[in-house]
Amino acid sequence: MSLISIITMVLILGVVWGGFTFFLFKAMSFEKLKNKNKNKN
Amino acid sequence: MKEKEYFSSRWALIIATIGIAVGTGNIWRFSRVVAQNGGGSFLIPWVIFLFIWSVPLIIAEFALGKSTRFGPVGALVKTAGNKFGWMGAFVVFVSTAIMFYYSVVTGWSLRYFISAVSGNLFNATDQLAYWNEFSSGYQPLLFHFISMLLVGIIIYKGVTKGIEKVTKFLVPSLIIILIILFFRAITLDNAIEGIKYFFTPELDKILDYKVWLNALTQNAWDTGAGWGLILTYAVYMKKKEDISLNAVLIGFGNNTISLIAGITIFSTVFALSLPAGQAGSADAMKLITQPGPANTGLTFIYLPQLFANISSSYLVNIFFASIFFLALFFAAVTSLMSMVELATRTFMDFGFKRKSAIIGVTVLGFVFGIPSALSLDFFTNQDWVWGVGLILSGAFISFSIIRYGVDKFRTEIINGYGSDIKIGKWYNFVIGVLIPVQVVILISWWLVSSLSWDPEWWNPFHTANLGTAVIQWAIVLSVFILLNKTMIAKLRKEE
Repeated sequence: MSLISIITMVLILGVVWGGFTFFLFKAMSFEKLKNKNKNKN
Repeated sequence: MKEKEYFSSRWALIIATIGIAVGTGNIWRFSRVVAQNGGGSFLIPWVIFLFIWSVPLIIAEFALGKSTRFGPVGALVKTAGNKFGWMGAFVVFVSTAIMFYYSVVTGWSLRYFISAVSGNLFNATDQLAYWNEFSSGYQPLLFHFISMLLVGIIIYKGVTKGIEKVTKFLVPSLIIILIILFFRAITLDNAIEGIKYFFTPELDKILDYKVWLNALTQNAWDTGAGWGLILTYAVYMKKKEDISLNAVLIGFGNNTISLIAGITIFSTVFALSLPAGQAGSADAMKLITQPGPANTGLTFIYLPQLFANISSSYLVNIFFASIFFLALFFAAVTSLMSMVELATRTFMDFGFKRKSAIIGVTVLGFVFGIPSALSLDFFTNQDWVWGVGLILSGAFISFSIIRYGVDKFRTEIINGYGSDIKIGKWYNFVIGVLIPVQVVILISWWLVSSLSWDPEWWNPFHTANLGTAVIQWAIVLSVFILLNKTMIAKLRKEE
């Protein structure tokens, strides 16, 4: 694979798969926080 | 109108909504369009339009459904005003017209899954003849009936016991199947040739405006943004649920699955259409880019030929072909469910009881899907007319927010109670300026392009041209504009 193909692959997969993983973990942390607050109350 | 049923959790809502977004388009259309538009050159604008078309419209749909607790007609009336109920009705009609023929596609997937499991698919020597024999007979009608009935039963069971329960099984199963196929595909000899093509950008293609317009079209068709379907599921989300983070997750989740499917198909096609060790791409490209009858070529004709050679074991080949068509069927069913729910929700907004509305929608869905089940020309016509009509739906949703006030909509509804992340002022520009500009450019491009497909571009009785699209839209819009007052009166009465 040429350098340009590798860069494009890293860029596309990084943004899409990386973005999905990032936002998934963010949503999970918000849910965890909400459950924690719920248990406290 | 207060809802009695809600999705039980954030994850149930996200899984169900990913089920809407991920359809057959992620699997068969995405790979073909990537191949036709220069691989990596297409992927760059495709990701950009995720940010300036899909995600903003998914946010808008979530916010409209959650805040109004109405399907598209009521939601657009509440935001844009009484004069614009016809716009919501058009959004509903377009998605329902797509439901009529999407059920046929769901039936094809089911039929091919059964053929693959039974081994009949590999007994056929000529896959094109096999497809032609199947599609020209009465079997598509039978499988269309089974699909509509199956989905009608699921929706009849309700939001939590039907939609939520079924999508909690189907969506994770679909993802697991795609991951199994993905790892099998990328470990085939020569798979790297497909991956290389998939990610290699060509400068002249990146500068080609048609590649950008195709990338925008793929976003408009494939994420479910602007269809009114996500809006309908949002009616059943709890008040405390977030809008923006969920919308971003769905947009990214949909494109993640498209990439898994795309890499799988490119790897499979390049690996199995080239002799071992040979690096050439002409045959593989021909297979991926040829649309075939009703754009089904890659999925129903060429992939079965390739699956027959995925290993030296007949049973292993049957296994991989079966799970591929099962994944396609699961993807189709979860999307079809949302279309049936959209039509059902609309009837309920006008005072029908849920159960009678579902029975009515299922029967109508079967009856109006019959022409598409029996004629591929009719199918292609409807796919063209309402596929492009979806862009108008996106425009109407964006218009309703502009009428309401984009900044007010963003601060009071999107960033209101329950929001995990706050959306900035960039959203005002995207919904107020970028989406309308994209709509005008995209519709003009498709309609102008269609002039060159048919010398008799004005003839409404031809399969895919300007005349047939404009006439069908005009008829539907005229009827809804004339019925606007009656619709509003009925909605207000039920409210």
